[in-house]
Amino acid sequence: MTSPNGLICFTNCLLPQEDGSLIEKDLWIDETRGVILDAQKTFFLRRNRPERIIDLGGNILSPGFLDLQLNGGYGFDFSVFEGDEEAYKQGLIMVAERIIETGVTSLVPTVITQERSLYPKILSLLQPFQTEKSAAFLGWHAEGPFIEHSKRGIHADSYLLSATEGTKTFEEIYGADNIAHQEDWIMGNEQAAAVRIITAAPETLGVMDAIKNLSRHGIVFSIGHSTATTEVATDAVRCGAKLITHLFNAMPQLHHRDPSIIGLLGASPHISPFPDSGQLSPVFNPAIGVTEEPASIMDSMSPPQTPISAITQSGSSTPTSVSSHKSRKSLHLEKGQIADMEFERPYFGIIVDGIHCHPNSVRLAYSAHPEGCILITDAMKILDPHLKDGAYEWRDGQRYVKEGDRLYLEGTDTLAGSVVTLDKCVRNFSRFTGCSFGEAIKCATYNPAKCLGIENKKGTLRPGADADLVVLSRQGRVLSTWVKGKQAFVKA
Amino acid sequence: MRLIIRDDPTAVGSYIANYICKRINDFGPTAEKPFVLGLPTGSSPIPTYKALIKLVKEGKLSFKNVVTFNMDEYVGLPRDHTESYHTFMFREFFSHSKSPFDIPPSQVNILDGNAEDLIAECNAYEKRIKGYGGIELFLGGIGEDGHIAFNEPGSSLASRTRIKTLAYDTILANARFFNNDISAVPRMALTVGVATVLDSREVVVVVTGQRKALALSKAIGTSQPDCTSATKADQSCFILTEEGVNHLWTLSALQLHPWALIVVDEDATAELHVKTVKYFKSIEFVQDQVEKSQRDLKARGKITEEQVGSME
Repeated sequence: MTSPNGLICFTNCLLPQEDGSLIEKDLWIDETRGVILDAQKTFFLRRNRPERIIDLGGNILSPGFLDLQLNGGYGFDFSVFEGDEEAYKQGLIMVAERIIETGVTSLVPTVITQERSLYPKILSLLQPFQTEKSAAFLGWHAEGPFIEHSKRGIHADSYLLSATEGTKTFEEIYGADNIAHQEDWIMGNEQAAAVRIITAAPETLGVMDAIKNLSRHGIVFSIGHSTATTEVATDAVRCGAKLITHLFNAMPQLHHRDPSIIGLLGASPHISPFPDSGQLSPVFNPAIGVTEEPASIMDSMSPPQTPISAITQSGSSTPTSVSSHKSRKSLHLEKGQIADMEFERPYFGIIVDGIHCHPNSVRLAYSAHPEGCILITDAMKILDPHLKDGAYEWRDGQRYVKEGDRLYLEGTDTLAGSVVTLDKCVRNFSRFTGCSFGEAIKCATYNPAKCLGIENKKGTLRPGADADLVVLSRQGRVLSTWVKGKQAFVKA
Repeated sequence: MRLIIRDDPTAVGSYIANYICKRINDFGPTAEKPFVLGLPTGSSPIPTYKALIKLVKEGKLSFKNVVTFNMDEYVGLPRDHTESYHTFMFREFFSHSKSPFDIPPSQVNILDGNAEDLIAECNAYEKRIKGYGGIELFLGGIGEDGHIAFNEPGSSLASRTRIKTLAYDTILANARFFNNDISAVPRMALTVGVATVLDSREVVVVVTGQRKALALSKAIGTSQPDCTSATKADQSCFILTEEGVNHLWTLSALQLHPWALIVVDEDATAELHVKTVKYFKSIEFVQDQVEKSQRDLKARGKITEEQVGSME
């Protein structure tokens, strides 16, 4: 059923807002163009109003979920290419069309470490696409091969690489043509080359150089499968890394003297603002005292005799963009105002299946940095909400065992990714952290969209955004999913 | 003029909504002969709008053949600003209709405060109203200083739709909608005139809350000692001769209108004398009786003309 004038009004529903609140309001969409409308403008300027009204019975009308890390599903593995292009493409379409039952309308399919010769082929097949009834593939998440051996998890050891020639090695492995350029991305160029996210270990040779260069192209660098020290992890963020891959997993555990990657969530305004400042960062020197902290070296007004400013002169790579983020020189008096940071703390993907992270850890991470929280499934090819427990074939002769939401390699206790659906993650997250449902939804919609820089199009109900929507019951169950203004899934 | 007193703003809202609903349904509007309704903004009419939306939802009322004219709009405020009256009307009323057959956007008229030629906009507005044969029922609210629409104290009672400078009182009162930043409050508005309101066949005004009590007393007049001592037999004299029509309380112009109804809550009567309140309560009773007998007469075919007017 369509609307005679192509406009639809959803009414009697709660709309999740970008600040995590839920408000009772109508939403108008244009089903022909597949976009969300500015209702008031439509009424007063276009002199039009929807001729089809859908009463959602008090349920929640959310932007469709975004999953930034998904390895496959419904028996299809994005990382397995068996030489048949057509079969592979059909597999992609199948996953994209079925995944919408979990409320996901956009995803960044993930390819784990491959034998190097396979990359250019697989990645070229993984162009962004969307069918009438499918979730949108937004490009690629390349997880590996530039990762740390000791934190490789299930990635094949023999395929891991270091980037001996920095950025050039990255381009060689993934294929220079496959590396996304932000302009194409934002312009919605269908043919845009499409590596969107790269998970790499910044301590691996050459990776830091690539972070610097590729981040500028708009690729989201994600720190993961890494043993980076606090210093290295901090530098990676300064160089442009924007995300942490499956927080708590495949990284050093939080140590209070060297909090490493996890510690980035609590990055202190006290740490040095400069990249390449090995000898500076993080200076905790009781002799200097709090009011003389190195943060003041960012301040061009510092008197020349300020001890550390001498070193500043040599820090030629001072980023100019941070000038508006100067740390305060002295103790400040504004309650509730955290002193400015010299860099944005990274987003973090977190698997909220109750297995990869304890609920306490989930709450700890969310409390530390709620704006950076992104729910991911990291689900494997056996993801299928209809599948029974048991042992299933994986690849290279290995099998994995599914027990509820738990998935591990047969005969080991190594977790092999997850089988949780994103809608379940949202429900879990609200329970684990105690946050409201609207705030949990934000972590699967607005936050990931913002991380990719597409929050004007996806993960939001702003006018002009794609009308990719999911109707959720008050208990968080997916009732229906809309893709580009058309209903594509209804719960039986 | 009739004054209806109800317990609280919600009861006032539902009284007016039912009243308007009855008027529209009795009128039997068609596409050729629509019901022309004047509408206000502000906090007072919100319960009325809520009650009207409920009636539409229940299927008791339709706006399909209703044409609306709003009273006023700020000058220079973007149409989609959160405080513009376009935004208000859309948020509180027009966006809410739950039936696909509700008011077509083309039948909604609101002054354009961003028009290049504001005077032409005002004149065109008056013309458009006349084009529809005038307003059938104008619903209004008042300000604390007794203004109706943006006809601030001192406005001519013969005024038409025009540009109006806001009184300082109004600017202060509205600052709360602009983060208490007085400088952000628009200084000017376009508004229908007092005469535009008086021209309509019927005027219904909603007045709620103690803050409007003084304005109400000024507008309808209150009893004073020398009047009560005059002729006890003619009770109505003391009602309408007090305070009288005064351009400093523009709502008082309503006293010149043959078919005016003011609906207030108990709080708004705080500045009225007890006997005034009692008097109006008695009118309500009599009016009900008269309407009932008129209905009976009509049902028995004794009268054919639509009765217009109210008891005083």
